[in-house]
Amino acid sequence: MILPILWMLTVALKGPSAVFEVPPRLLPHEFHFRNFVDGPKVIHFPRLLLNSVVITGLSVIGGVMTSMMAGYALARLRFPGRKVWFYVFVGSMLLPPVVGIIPLFQLFKDIGWYDTWLPLIVPAFLGGNPLFIFLARQYFLSIPHSIDEAAKVDGAGHVRIFVSVMLPITKPAWITMSILAFQMSWNDYLNPLIYLYSSQKWPLSVGMASFVSQFAGQTPDWNLYMATNLLFMLPPLAVFFVAQRYFIQGLSALGTVNQR
Amino acid sequence: MTAAPHQETRTAAPPVDPPPDRGLPGRLGRPWRRRRKRSSDTLAAYVFLAPALIGFTAFVVYPLFRSAYYALTSYNGLSDPKFIGLDNFRRMFTTDPSFWPSVRATLLLVVLYVPLSLAIGLALAVFCNQRMRGVSLLRTLCYLPVVLPVVATITLWKFVFNPQVGLANQVLNWLHLPTSEWLSSEDSAIPSIVIVMLWSVGSTMIIFLAALQAVPTELYEAARLDGAGPRTVFFRITLPLISPIMMLQVVLQMVTALQAFNQPKILSPDGQGGPGFSTRTLMLSIYNNGFPKLGQVSQFGYASAQVWVLFLVIVVVIAATARFSSIWTYSDHVS
Repeated sequence: MILPILWMLTVALKGPSAVFEVPPRLLPHEFHFRNFVDGPKVIHFPRLLLNSVVITGLSVIGGVMTSMMAGYALARLRFPGRKVWFYVFVGSMLLPPVVGIIPLFQLFKDIGWYDTWLPLIVPAFLGGNPLFIFLARQYFLSIPHSIDEAAKVDGAGHVRIFVSVMLPITKPAWITMSILAFQMSWNDYLNPLIYLYSSQKWPLSVGMASFVSQFAGQTPDWNLYMATNLLFMLPPLAVFFVAQRYFIQGLSALGTVNQR
Repeated sequence: MTAAPHQETRTAAPPVDPPPDRGLPGRLGRPWRRRRKRSSDTLAAYVFLAPALIGFTAFVVYPLFRSAYYALTSYNGLSDPKFIGLDNFRRMFTTDPSFWPSVRATLLLVVLYVPLSLAIGLALAVFCNQRMRGVSLLRTLCYLPVVLPVVATITLWKFVFNPQVGLANQVLNWLHLPTSEWLSSEDSAIPSIVIVMLWSVGSTMIIFLAALQAVPTELYEAARLDGAGPRTVFFRITLPLISPIMMLQVVLQMVTALQAFNQPKILSPDGQGGPGFSTRTLMLSIYNNGFPKLGQVSQFGYASAQVWVLFLVIVVVIAATARFSSIWTYSDHVS
């Protein structure tokens, strides 16, 4: 399991010719720590990282916010159509995203969003992920109704209840969702690949992948690449070790979806 | 005697559990005339739902119908779509040389990946469910590849599979096993991709682990008292009890494998599903037709037709699993 990662470490420390030695050595005979400086420079890592951070940050905020709002409405408010909308959202979870890909591409191109970050961010702000709406609703359902009634008696409106009563109570739910959203956006490869043409707008996923795909038979510098790849892995790893509990909860949540 | 407790629960019920019951009479009558509070609820609800509803209309409903229409047209994204009926499907099934190979690649991927991922995931979960020292470390290690960015792991494996200097052949050399061409040979390309996908089996494991921990321990104790061995316990108690999760996993993994895109796109030497058509999965075929390399014309109509073939396959898989699940999953209602 762990072997490829350790091997990646050794490759990241090797010199440019040592990588292609036959037979390959397991350990580098001299350590090239400069790979961690040169690699990111060659791949334009800082720029890719900044792009990824902006895209991921905004889509996490948008996705979690709208899903929490929708979940609140579906779970805590009584209005005609709540059941219908709930089933509509759950049903759309089963819809594979590939179905919409070509019309959406055409739509975004028509309104001038091709080669911008908007197609990657705006859908998140408009309830991009029905799974989050479902998770938010399930969490909101588990909160006793006496809490909002108490807040209502104190004269709080829906916005007030949502922001100052519900958001603090539902912290585990939205942390879990944020982590899921972070992982999805950080990992997304197909969408940026389709929508972003110019390389200075690429996020990490597309930029890193393009470095290893060969152009004109040229082999990439694997030692530089692996050093940068380690840096690419760091943010999700950091999130994982800081919030391991929520991370695993999020994944298990996927498994419990059908238990209700 | 029997009526008394019954009545008691009835009178007690409304204040305890009001939410599902209170909405109904309101909806049947004329809710927003009678009570102002309810109308403000409705308004607030739609305000809260507004972003999700707008997004749902624009990014789910509209594309769904639009792509169904595109599938019946000849459309390159520049001039207006031209209606050609079922010609796209005729071309796909009869003349396109890459369609059947891509169906074959996709099915091979599903057939190899899904059973292996379920078996390994379940085995790891059973192992990690024991109370032993070091298990939590093993669990973290298994889960680590899932945490890493997909593109980072795929590119890492691309180098692992390098025939001359990659780790995979190095390990085979140590073990004195014949080496392989991995991604550069038509026969071993899809199995190599399956290995890469299986590296992230930790996600399957975690879901099984959650299911295993939900099995009541009394059942195990009772079985042991009755003299059941570990194998009997596993096949007669554990497996039936986690069968609903198993079914969910079958669906999830099949849908994942049917839509495999990142792995073949990045791992295939030419980025198009090579060598030959061996790793050109349906998703990659759709991508190649819809978003081809610079200088080629995109075929949105034809790609949409392929999207619908893939979509229908996924619907059939989900429906069939749900239909037959009642035969082999355990449910409480029977007992």
